[in-house]
Amino acid sequence: MAYRTYLMVCAGTGCVANQSMKIKDRLEAEIKKRGLDSEVAVVTTGCNGFCAVGPLMVVQPDGIFYQLLKETDIPYLVEEHFIKGRPVKELLYTPPKEKTPIPRMSDIPFFADQTLIVLRNRGLIDPERIDEAIARGAYEALAKVLTTMTPEQVIQEIKASGLRGRGGGGFPTGIKWETCKNAPGDKRYVLCNADEGDPGAFMDRSTIESDPHAVIEGMCIGAYAIGSSEGYVYIRNEYPIALERLKIAIKQAREYGLLGKNIFDKGFDFDIKIVRGAGAFVCGESTALMASIEGKPGEPRAKYVHTVERGLWDKPSCLNNVETWANVSQIILRGAKWFSSIGTGDVSSDAWGGSKGTKVFSLSGKVNNTGLIEVPMGITLRKIIFDIGGGIKDGKKFKAVQTGGPSGGFIPESLIDLPVDYEELTKVGSMMGSGGMVVTDENNCMVDMAKYFLAFTQEESCGKCIPCREGTKRMLDILEKITNGEGTEEDLVLLEELSNMVVESSLCALGGSAPNPVLTTLKYFREEYEAHVKEKKCPAHSCRKLITYSIDPAICVDKGHGCDVCRKNCPDGAITGETKQVHAIDVMKCGRCGICYDVCKFDAIFIE
Amino acid sequence: MVTVNIDGTRIEVIEETTILKAAEKAGIWIPTMCHCEYFEPYGVCRLCSVEVVRGKRSRIVTACNYPVRGGLTILTNSERVKWIRKIIMELMLSRWPNVKVVRDMAEKLGIGTPRFVSMERDEADDACILCGMCVNMCSDVVKASILGFSNTGIKREVVLPFGEQSDKCIVCGACATVCPTGHIKMVLEDYRGKKPEFTLGPKTAISVPSLQAVPRVPVIDTNSCIHFKTDGCTICSTVCEPNAINYEMKDEIVELDVGQILVSTGFDTFDASKMSQYGYGTLDNVYSALEFEMLLNSTGPTGGKVVMKNGKEPRSVAILHCIGSRDTNHHAYCSRVCCMYALKFAHLVHDRTKAAIYQLYIDMRAFGKGYEEFYSRLLDEGITMIRGKAAEVVEGTWSDDHEKSLLVRCEDTLISKFREIPVDMVILCNAIEARKDSDAVKRLFTLSKSPDGFFLERHPKLDPTSTTTEGVYIAGCAQGPKDIPDTVAQASSAAARILSYISKGEVEIDPIRAMVQEEFCSGCRICNNLCPYTAIEYLEDKKVSHVNEALCKGCGTCVAACPSSAMTGQGFTDAQILAEINGLMV
Amino acid sequence: MGKITIDDLAKIKEKTRYQTTLRQGAGRVKINVHMGTCGIAAGARQILTSVMTEIESRKLLDVIVTNSGCAGLCSQEPMMTVEVANEPAPVKYVSLTPDKVKKIVESHILKGIPVKEYALAVGSERTR
Repeated sequence: MAYRTYLMVCAGTGCVANQSMKIKDRLEAEIKKRGLDSEVAVVTTGCNGFCAVGPLMVVQPDGIFYQLLKETDIPYLVEEHFIKGRPVKELLYTPPKEKTPIPRMSDIPFFADQTLIVLRNRGLIDPERIDEAIARGAYEALAKVLTTMTPEQVIQEIKASGLRGRGGGGFPTGIKWETCKNAPGDKRYVLCNADEGDPGAFMDRSTIESDPHAVIEGMCIGAYAIGSSEGYVYIRNEYPIALERLKIAIKQAREYGLLGKNIFDKGFDFDIKIVRGAGAFVCGESTALMASIEGKPGEPRAKYVHTVERGLWDKPSCLNNVETWANVSQIILRGAKWFSSIGTGDVSSDAWGGSKGTKVFSLSGKVNNTGLIEVPMGITLRKIIFDIGGGIKDGKKFKAVQTGGPSGGFIPESLIDLPVDYEELTKVGSMMGSGGMVVTDENNCMVDMAKYFLAFTQEESCGKCIPCREGTKRMLDILEKITNGEGTEEDLVLLEELSNMVVESSLCALGGSAPNPVLTTLKYFREEYEAHVKEKKCPAHSCRKLITYSIDPAICVDKGHGCDVCRKNCPDGAITGETKQVHAIDVMKCGRCGICYDVCKFDAIFIE
Repeated sequence: MVTVNIDGTRIEVIEETTILKAAEKAGIWIPTMCHCEYFEPYGVCRLCSVEVVRGKRSRIVTACNYPVRGGLTILTNSERVKWIRKIIMELMLSRWPNVKVVRDMAEKLGIGTPRFVSMERDEADDACILCGMCVNMCSDVVKASILGFSNTGIKREVVLPFGEQSDKCIVCGACATVCPTGHIKMVLEDYRGKKPEFTLGPKTAISVPSLQAVPRVPVIDTNSCIHFKTDGCTICSTVCEPNAINYEMKDEIVELDVGQILVSTGFDTFDASKMSQYGYGTLDNVYSALEFEMLLNSTGPTGGKVVMKNGKEPRSVAILHCIGSRDTNHHAYCSRVCCMYALKFAHLVHDRTKAAIYQLYIDMRAFGKGYEEFYSRLLDEGITMIRGKAAEVVEGTWSDDHEKSLLVRCEDTLISKFREIPVDMVILCNAIEARKDSDAVKRLFTLSKSPDGFFLERHPKLDPTSTTTEGVYIAGCAQGPKDIPDTVAQASSAAARILSYISKGEVEIDPIRAMVQEEFCSGCRICNNLCPYTAIEYLEDKKVSHVNEALCKGCGTCVAACPSSAMTGQGFTDAQILAEINGLMV
Repeated sequence: MGKITIDDLAKIKEKTRYQTTLRQGAGRVKINVHMGTCGIAAGARQILTSVMTEIESRKLLDVIVTNSGCAGLCSQEPMMTVEVANEPAPVKYVSLTPDKVKKIVESHILKGIPVKEYALAVGSERTR
């Protein structure tokens, strides 16, 4: 069946949550109604990454990009574009503050600067059809490995490529595989960490939703290299669509004999089991993950003996992140040289000498273009935020970007020309992490941001060791004090001392990195802390207990003429005034919700 | 073996030994709060953090579980380490300010008032400090896995399954023993069916029965030993240096060929709970005689102090004679020894406490050498003698305070009055009775029992140590209640009798005895069980019966019973008798 | 389908690749059938179908077919524009019939020789 047009409807979780499946159904109905069902095909794909403008759809082969679709748009769209041949301007992407839309996906800056390796199949295949993945090259690498390469050669190739763990640790993958292969033991396990607990991170989810076979194939190749025949994917239960697609993919792979016994008749056995985790950020930590698979409570243990030597059920285990696995088949097919030509540094003599390949980031926060991006290592943060991200929303001023999720740190504007690279990010006090990137603007209070991330890690602490369990709680208490206006200078000293101690003496990396947001904000934004503590003020106008709202009487009368909109909208009844007369805010009643500030059209309300 | 440098001291240890053990070998102390030698290191308190230096880099690791490799330099007391320990102790002190083990450690490490205020502050001095030792003990050592952790983060706590008492808990007490704060308490709600006789309180499963035991070695009570329930523990054999503990030990059955047997299987004491009016087993502070003996013993549970269950000294004690003896409902005989030991008790209680002592007796049997004189002496010690067997013991209160105690009711026949005596403690002189297995022993050795249940001697006056079965002797309380001098005398006599036979080498026996004509014996064995002297045995190889000439008394029962006339009297065979008759007739 | 061999893998790839390649919007040849209102009235639908049939029957993998709106020259509809990679300019064919389409596919797309008789002009607008 040859269709002339394919409608690639995004069915990633974000768009599905915004009713993209209803849009798909409507499209199919409308196309059938207009008699186009032999010419136009509707295909559901994984996440395209530009989540800020979902539900979205790409018309191929034209490459036309439609965004912010609603069910009611569909009949008109079908009529105009597929019958009359005129793309609908109003539904195309128009950059903020501009008038002309950009019809082609490849021209939109969000997409133009990305390099897709892990996400190469996003938006192009139906992830629930293995044939489409095969058409795009899936399992070719596995065939190549099984027919022409020995396990040692596979490991050499991965080592030469410079691939490093994408889960956050950045450990050279080739060395990990080699150590696991050489560890004594009668059985080995290959594990995939799809727990992805960082709030706001969805790289792994999208990868599995768009292209689960990339992950499966990577695990097969890894298993061959280290000598394993059993693999586990530990995926969080909060990802139902990804879980479903993974199950379907595994089932289809098994039907084709790509998982199971004697794959490709080469005497290689491998199969994958899925284990679900739920409600535990700490289970993303390798030893806690393995304890969870074993049926024990998800609590980490000391890693003085590494899991590659004694891991799952005390056997050598190789745990890698979803993204790491998804890179493997491309490295095999296109070569280590190609992979190591992308990125920074030199890994020929030192495996930690550079960051190679691409990285998937989930860009969120106060940028215009929030979504999922894959960029080559070495790209500057500035380019990510301002070019791909489209700059700060509402024209506000950039303040800091948080990389690495709740374990990472804040990077101020002075440093955002640094290239994205494992070592560079660690040098400034942050980390690559799993790829979360949260952008803050002038209205974000850094103390509050640090508190927000610390509250998360403190909540997720397993509670086993004293520094993390007690220390992070004490740190959070101090931050609460500070944001409530009760902080003292001794509190700041204590906070920093406690943060450093928790980093040094915690049992696992959760505690070891939980203080990072606090430490980086103290380093780069100390003046904000001091304002909270000394002047009891919040410079970003965010901490409720430290700000006051007031009305400029002159503007209210001259410009607003006492329009009374603020008073009508105040939930605390804190504004007094009659129409056509000046209004005032009672500081005692005011709950600092900010509604009046938002509704006043004349900017008569200001915050201190 | 590898060499490591700890605080400047070079020491050689096996590779992969933990830093903590290596430091111990070097004589360096590292503080720990969650460590116990019986299970794998837990590594959660982080107090044992030390600095490990490799080249220019150093890192903080926990000493309890970090495996040592060659060439390591370890600093156990650097500024960085001290700083970490300081904050850990401050965190602990702010949360558990009154727990002794936390305070002691803080003092030892020189840490004062914490700089933190904890929202989760717990004022209790026996608060749980979440060290996890009880959980690890229960799961790794005892292997019962009852205790566990629940809730995450700051809400972490130790719980029982579903928060309820679990009947899978074997009540071994290991958790309570290892808990450093006393948070876990053993509550003896019921003693799990174990009779508390001779124990007077819980003991460990392995213990030396008493310091006067012979041999004085520990013995394992397999009913309460953890290993025999869960296959776990084995701590006792781990700590035993000469490796003397053998869990596989079984009873041995030894077969000996002997000529003479001395049965001295002793006695049992009467179970006073059969006489419910005395409150034994139901009321507190009512003891049997042997229990009180244990209490008085300096190697006993109280070290010889006379105390009640609540640890206080009794204000008055009542000693009740003839519990189960001289009683047609239980034993009609007199147990002979009780009067004297009751007087001994009175004397010792008087010696060790200021208690008022009451003796409730029927007759005072002070028959032996120096006994009467002892009795007289006691009368001068101010002990109240009440002639009248106690009727009952109930709970009561003293009039001047509200403490519950006991009330002894009796009839004082000398003054013809009923008396109610408030006491704190009652000692029952319970009867001496025959062993519960005396019937089995009787059958085994072909002994008889007298009506009182003790073994029957051949003659009550003239031969109290032999029995009607040749070669079997009895001595001691197996024959009847008696005290030590009498037992010694009887035992010596029996032993002497036996020795005299052995030294003789020959035995003179009556010529009249039975004999088996083997060519006629069919091997039916009817005679074997008939013989009252167990003198006939069956020879397996020849398949005929055989008379033991030493045992046979010539009663002739077997001769009459033998169906094939194979059994005949020696010298009285049919042929011989016929010949005699023939001789007479001629 | 049961267990596949390496050869089967290649076959599945070939079979399905046609679709996915199309979706990538990358091909050697791009045929744009103009389907504005006038075009459709003149029978552009039929032209589109015959183009698709031709391509499918010849199993051409590197040809993309799209449609667009009115090109402006309504009197000469149905029209199609053929763009071949590495050729200097696209060619516009006018007044098409299914037979003409067949000839154009054989001559221009397969052999690279534009069919001058059916062409309006060479080199109008560029789409890429």
